Amino acid sequence: MPGGMRYHFGDEARLRRAVEAGALGVFDGWGYEEIATPAVDYYALFERGMGREEAGRAFRFTDTDGRMLALRADLTSSVARAAATLFAAAPRPLRFCYAASVFRQRPRSHAEWKRQGRQVGCELIGAGGAGADLEVLAVAAEVLERLGLRGRCCFTVNHVGVFNGLAEELRLDPEARERVRRLVDARDAAGLEELLARRAGGETPALAGRLTRLSGKREALTAARSLVSNGRTAEALAALAQVWDAVEALGLADAFEVDLGDVSGLDYYTGLIFKIYVEGAGARVGGGGRYDELTASFGRREPAVGFVLDTDAITEVLARAGVDLAGGNGRHFQSVGGESLSERLLEAQRRRARGERVRLAL
Amino acid sequence: MLTIAIAKGRMQAEALALLARAGVRVSEAALATRRLAVEDEAGGYRFIFVKPADVPVYVEHGIADCGVVGRDVLLETGADVLQPLDLKIGGCRLAVAAKAGAGGARAGVLHVATKYPRVAAAHFGSRGVPVEIIELSGSVELAPVLGLADCIVDLVETGRTLAENGLAVVETIAESTARLVVNRASYQLKAASVSKLIEALSEAARGEQKQGKP
Repeated sequence: MPGGMRYHFGDEARLRRAVEAGALGVFDGWGYEEIATPAVDYYALFERGMGREEAGRAFRFTDTDGRMLALRADLTSSVARAAATLFAAAPRPLRFCYAASVFRQRPRSHAEWKRQGRQVGCELIGAGGAGADLEVLAVAAEVLERLGLRGRCCFTVNHVGVFNGLAEELRLDPEARERVRRLVDARDAAGLEELLARRAGGETPALAGRLTRLSGKREALTAARSLVSNGRTAEALAALAQVWDAVEALGLADAFEVDLGDVSGLDYYTGLIFKIYVEGAGARVGGGGRYDELTASFGRREPAVGFVLDTDAITEVLARAGVDLAGGNGRHFQSVGGESLSERLLEAQRRRARGERVRLAL
Repeated sequence: MLTIAIAKGRMQAEALALLARAGVRVSEAALATRRLAVEDEAGGYRFIFVKPADVPVYVEHGIADCGVVGRDVLLETGADVLQPLDLKIGGCRLAVAAKAGAGGARAGVLHVATKYPRVAAAHFGSRGVPVEIIELSGSVELAPVLGLADCIVDLVETGRTLAENGLAVVETIAESTARLVVNRASYQLKAASVSKLIEALSEAARGEQKQGKP
């Protein structure tokens, strides 16, 4: 078997399916329609939807006419294209959910060895503003609740405008911006201060040097707002404050954190971003955010927000904790014996009708 | 409880001393045993002692929440971990060294012996120098002496080993000190204990620096 591929079977396979069913059940309750996307698509779709670097990890091969194809590397690209084309005339907003396998020929890091993963997620397309952001956050929180992980999970929220506003204020060229972003991303406070201090000319905004340390509940936002000195960052912080109001009103504040140092995916997301962590998993198990630019590359610019969960990572956490969502662990089967094959089949049928689990003695 | 992976060897004693000053003490008795996992006296931390290159592995997988490891290792492994603190201990540098007075490459390709193949390839790659990387796992200084390589990329602390083998630093690639690294999930899920540790260590590291460089 090639590296990074594996089988799933037995209790684990049942649990995995139960995780998916739980999530899809929540999506259904919120009015999301399931959509299945092609397993093979043009590589260009993923390149447009995920960016060149992420898409470059896909399994690629050529079609009979020489065009480059790829195994499904993510779901969002394909759903966004469907929204802009197949559902162009459908009333907005569109609500889609999915559960499917994704494939990456090259894993993201050496901690990640898998090349086939299972994702479950949803996209809310054609609705902007705080309402849509909060709906998706509430759906995600309900999925974790449904899976029994409410007390063991942590959502971090941020807004890309916080960093982008500061980068503008600092007048960083793309290369310097990326260096600063990497330092913030690694929470390297000393390195960040040093780099900002070395920067020639102009005053350094007080908030920039503090980004790596501004995480927590409402107090992190309050601290940030007292330091902010540009309009774009201020707007982003105001939007986050609105999110936090709703988080408190929903009684979710214990499971949520503001994390202004979360600066991943800045080229992709355009507003709210969030990540989901669960105790027992060494990496995040999901995340999402607002991506208002993506659909434009398929010919129809409209707001969109969504998130995705790593089904395998969640299954692993639940399995290790001994959780039995499927109610099937240690299942008993009745054995059916008898004189002739037809007698045995009939007896098995009768018992099956009574809801018993039956295995034929062959 | 937080699990902290410590790089064995060169930096271990210094790291434990720094932790002790930060209020995290491991008893001598516990260290005297050959156990690879020990708890601190207050029972708030578990320490595991692993090879330097394995520290980022344990932390990246979340088996250890935090780790203490040299920047040289982080540069080489490219591990996806948070690096909130420069501990200012175990100072040394990653450098290119060659036989004193030796000319450049043989036959147009520079042969580089190293324990840091990624760092070496990136360094020479960024300046367009064609190289052949020869990966070794120790005693790298021998390679130029015996003619296996034209130069080496290695960690240089005092330069004594280099000098004793007739080598000299040609160029410094990067300065390296020990870093506190943190798993991305632990940073969120154990936020309170992690930031307490960062605070305490940053305090202790500042004290150390004042002491060391009056």
